[in-house]
Amino acid sequence: MEEGSLVQYAPIALMFLVAAGFVGVTMLATHLLGPKRKTNVKLESFECGIEAKGNARIPFNIKYFLVAILFVLFDIEVIFMYPWAVNFKELGTEGFVEMLLFIAALLIGFFYIRKKGALTWED
Amino acid sequence: MNALLIVCGLGFISLVAEIINLKKGLHIAIVLGLVVAVAAVIGDWNTSATFFNNMLIFDPFSVAFTCLIIVVGIFWFCLTSPFFIGESHQTDRTALIIFTMVGGIMMVSFHNMAILFLGIEILSISLYVLAGSHKESFFSNEAAFKYFIMGSFATGFLLMGIALVYGATGSFDTSEITMHIEGHKAGLPGFFYVGILLMLVGLAFKISVVPFHFWAPDVYAGSPTMITAFMSTVVKIAAVGAFYKIFGLCFFSVQMSVLPIIQGIIILTLLVANIIAVYQNNVKRMLAYSSIAHVGYMLLGFISGSVKFEGILFFYLASYATTSLIAFGILYAIENAKGSTSIDAVKGLYNQNPFAATCMTIALLSLAGIPPFAGFFSKYLIFGSAIEADHIMLVIVAVVTSLVGVYYYFKPIIYMFSPAQASDKLYLSAVQKAFLGMLTAAALLLGLLPEWIITILS
Amino acid sequence: MITNLFYFLSFVAVLSALMVVFSRNPVYSVLYLIITFFAIAGHYVLMQAEFLAVVHVIVYAGAIMVLFLYVIMLLNLNRESEPHKSNILKFAAAICSGLLLVVLVGSLRGTELLKHSEAGEVSSTMGGVKNLGKVLFTDFLFPFEIASVLLLAAMVGVVMLAKAEKKTNL
Repeated sequence: MEEGSLVQYAPIALMFLVAAGFVGVTMLATHLLGPKRKTNVKLESFECGIEAKGNARIPFNIKYFLVAILFVLFDIEVIFMYPWAVNFKELGTEGFVEMLLFIAALLIGFFYIRKKGALTWED
Repeated sequence: MNALLIVCGLGFISLVAEIINLKKGLHIAIVLGLVVAVAAVIGDWNTSATFFNNMLIFDPFSVAFTCLIIVVGIFWFCLTSPFFIGESHQTDRTALIIFTMVGGIMMVSFHNMAILFLGIEILSISLYVLAGSHKESFFSNEAAFKYFIMGSFATGFLLMGIALVYGATGSFDTSEITMHIEGHKAGLPGFFYVGILLMLVGLAFKISVVPFHFWAPDVYAGSPTMITAFMSTVVKIAAVGAFYKIFGLCFFSVQMSVLPIIQGIIILTLLVANIIAVYQNNVKRMLAYSSIAHVGYMLLGFISGSVKFEGILFFYLASYATTSLIAFGILYAIENAKGSTSIDAVKGLYNQNPFAATCMTIALLSLAGIPPFAGFFSKYLIFGSAIEADHIMLVIVAVVTSLVGVYYYFKPIIYMFSPAQASDKLYLSAVQKAFLGMLTAAALLLGLLPEWIITILS
Repeated sequence: MITNLFYFLSFVAVLSALMVVFSRNPVYSVLYLIITFFAIAGHYVLMQAEFLAVVHVIVYAGAIMVLFLYVIMLLNLNRESEPHKSNILKFAAAICSGLLLVVLVGSLRGTELLKHSEAGEVSSTMGGVKNLGKVLFTDFLFPFEIASVLLLAAMVGVVMLAKAEKKTNL
């Protein structure tokens, strides 16, 4: 990669810097500015006044995971659309049909998981 | 090539059947569809055409193996109707099995490493789930999890190997890789050989040879019995086919560099699998070790480099798949009736169902390599070609271990013919009886005409 | 400049990858893994593969990481329930992976890169999304289409395994 083309990434790098810097600065600032009165009661995690029991590591419902993994699968489907969209004109009708086939296959999958009730929360 | 598309389509059909609530005729429709696919693949015979910009090739080898995969799949579907019909999981199980076959067909007909990888992934991901399809069984869960962890690890090795081979040859296309190797024999970089080695590790996991076999016994024993049958037939055909296509064809000219390793693998596989199998009290687990051992024999043929090896391998896989399908089919019926696959469960099978006991005996005798059954000739041909190639030591090991094999295959036979305590009958449906009968006939017939089948592929 | 950036990114990637392994808390491991992924995305950018870099961030650092966190939450990783790992096993694993490392490094050391004529023309737009799309929809059309089967199989599988059975006899 040539030196010159790296300059185009300067705004992105700047954005990263600002994002990281903002986090750092706010954390530092709240630490320095706020008053500090540490008592045992204050350090407890606040749960609407109810005392916390046990720890946070309890097995949780697999439904969240089901939704998350289905999201990833469709996310990957969408990723394939970027290179297609950029070349949309060149690929023409043929490319359109190819993409349609791909989406149709996943659409079957979508209706299938709807039918199986994977997206309904209560059961 | 059309066969692949048809099988793909069948997978979609079974999902659509769930969507529109049309599950009644699905099982028969799938079987009919597979028959059509067999017809379609035979149509590709002798064309040796490549498809989709050299992504797939259907030369006689691929056509024969695809055919074998689909035919075994048809028999499998017919034997396992209770696994599907009336189940709430009918459509997803069907779809996953079909997708596994899609992956398998890709693995025996790839012409590009990308297709090999995708085929292995499609096959494996469906299988991980199928191994765990008895959700309430602890062992099934364990099998799925173990298979998934080990399998994805192996895929990682394979992928790294493909990447290194690509780095050295600049192509994913198998014939271009072969050409590049031929052209640069002296100047191949070191990492090319590391790539081959990593691919060997990855594929050795998939064909489950010692020392990459650790997942196999637990997965085979823990999965639902008919899924185990599927793994040891269709999946084995695909994996061994892919192994041959990579190391026998694509890397043919650098084969010498991996042959010593494969020889070591063969000796370990034959010794470890056969000896551990002796100590098994569960017929399913015993068959799992037997399937590991059989891959060892196949590899023995592979290193002999006989010109007829493609035919011999095809014959070996066909006879192995036939007989192990019989054994698992009957084991499945026994498990349904008695809830166990331990050696005590087969006790007195002859009194309970003489037909099943006869089929099972023929299957086990064939697996042990007793003449005149198909298993004998497949072993005989392998040993013959190994002797021709001067692998005397290996042949001695193989003969001794197959004698050990005779012992553990006879154990269930003796149990079957011993008198039973409880005289509960074993019920087989008419369809199961018909197809078990056909498979048994095939095991006998294959033994009668090995030469004819071998010449198909040479 | 480029070389320095390469070394910096490599340093970050290797260091945070090591931290993934050595962190006691699995949630920290996941967070370090995110840093690793970002560093690798930076490498992709250095190699002119912008699309890959973006996809890497979206899919891996975004979606897959969420899955990892969910898995950790599913696992019930209390300190008491941590399985005991024997020292022999650790030793064997260290030797095996060490040997693999030696083989890989040894084989890659001092090898010449492929000549440009053999690897095809390398241009600055090669890894761009436009070029990738063209290759994907012409040469690699079949893998693209069959990838839908792979996604479909995963979809069916996850629904089959993770969907709770309807309890009929309760």
